[in-house]
Amino acid sequence: MDHKTIIIQLLMAFVGSLGFSLLFGMRGKHLVPASLGGVLVWGLYLLLAKCIHDEGFMACLVAAAAAVLYAELLAHLRKCPATIFVIPAILPLVPGSGLYYTMAYAVQGNIAEAKIYGSQTLETALAIAAGISFVIALRQLHTKRTTK
Amino acid sequence: MEMNIETQALLLDCLLDLGQLLLDCGAEISRVEDTINRISRAYGAKDTNVFVITSIISLTMEFPEHEALTETRRIVRDGGTDFIRMEKLNALSRSVCAEPIPVQDLKKRIKSISNGRKPFGVQFWGSILAAGSYAVFFGGSVYDGLVAAIFGALICLLQICLDKTEINTVARNLLISLLIGLGVGIAAHFAPMLRMDKILIGDIMLLIPGLAMINAVRNVLLGNTISGLVRLADSLLWAGALAGGFMIALKVINLLF
Repeated sequence: MDHKTIIIQLLMAFVGSLGFSLLFGMRGKHLVPASLGGVLVWGLYLLLAKCIHDEGFMACLVAAAAAVLYAELLAHLRKCPATIFVIPAILPLVPGSGLYYTMAYAVQGNIAEAKIYGSQTLETALAIAAGISFVIALRQLHTKRTTK
Repeated sequence: MEMNIETQALLLDCLLDLGQLLLDCGAEISRVEDTINRISRAYGAKDTNVFVITSIISLTMEFPEHEALTETRRIVRDGGTDFIRMEKLNALSRSVCAEPIPVQDLKKRIKSISNGRKPFGVQFWGSILAAGSYAVFFGGSVYDGLVAAIFGALICLLQICLDKTEINTVARNLLISLLIGLGVGIAAHFAPMLRMDKILIGDIMLLIPGLAMINAVRNVLLGNTISGLVRLADSLLWAGALAGGFMIALKVINLLF
């Protein structure tokens, strides 16, 4: 992937997260940090994919975990629910293109390709879930220690 | 705070309103339960039992030297994700827990948050930005992005129109994805430099039940398995409807041209 593509993707990750934050009615003062979350997560994903030569599970898992960490940190600093920062940060990882190609190949009767894209899409969804659960587990460990 | 039985009943009602609103704007189950528990405790209930799933809230409160009060609220439909109301409710709950206000005032505050829906303008521009940028993000050209943005605006209008009807989410996703699929297919046929796949991917991002899925997983992991699984089944159905609509549209386009 050349530099131009990377810059376009990072820029679009920002605008995309910004768009969704607006769509979900986020307040103005949260817009920039929330959208930056999307850029950071996608940047991290690209970096990881390059370093470990794996564009699938692990990179996505770590990036999703980073998204939740970033969201929790912001939520803590700004005293508001973490959910509103988790969503924009995780968005670039959502396998929209995988889902589309799975459907498109299924319609064309190309089941072999549909299977490849389908399993990739599922893998990405699982990786996001695993990444999120990892951070939730860590946070729960922490809450137990402080309240009891 | 000393409360007579009428005030207690009013508080119960308030908390159910609050829970319903929180669910409505996309909060996780554990947040709803936690918020109700905390406020109830702040108002002096010695025991609170709250059970929330995506379709029902059941709340029992017991104040010292009083009978326990129970009420159940059926939650019929979910509104779209609304960060601003979620944040306001969160702030209200924080302030009330720190310093309980009279129940009448609490009722008014909840009512005013409930009425403050997100403005149409930001939703419209948000849809345009999101659809356009994701089409480019996934490898589309500037033209693909522009067309995706136009259809993104259309999706936003369609969703707002359909919100006023009683149509359920499965049928709605099917209908919207069918119309958008046909529209993009026709546009791509008459303007060959457009890439239909990239445009549709951008628009799919608007419709994909990503938040519902993420929330479902979070619910399961936070220990609310029932709600999580219900929501997961919901979102898979919605995604299925979405795929179904696009599939029909793609078939029709293949047949036409």
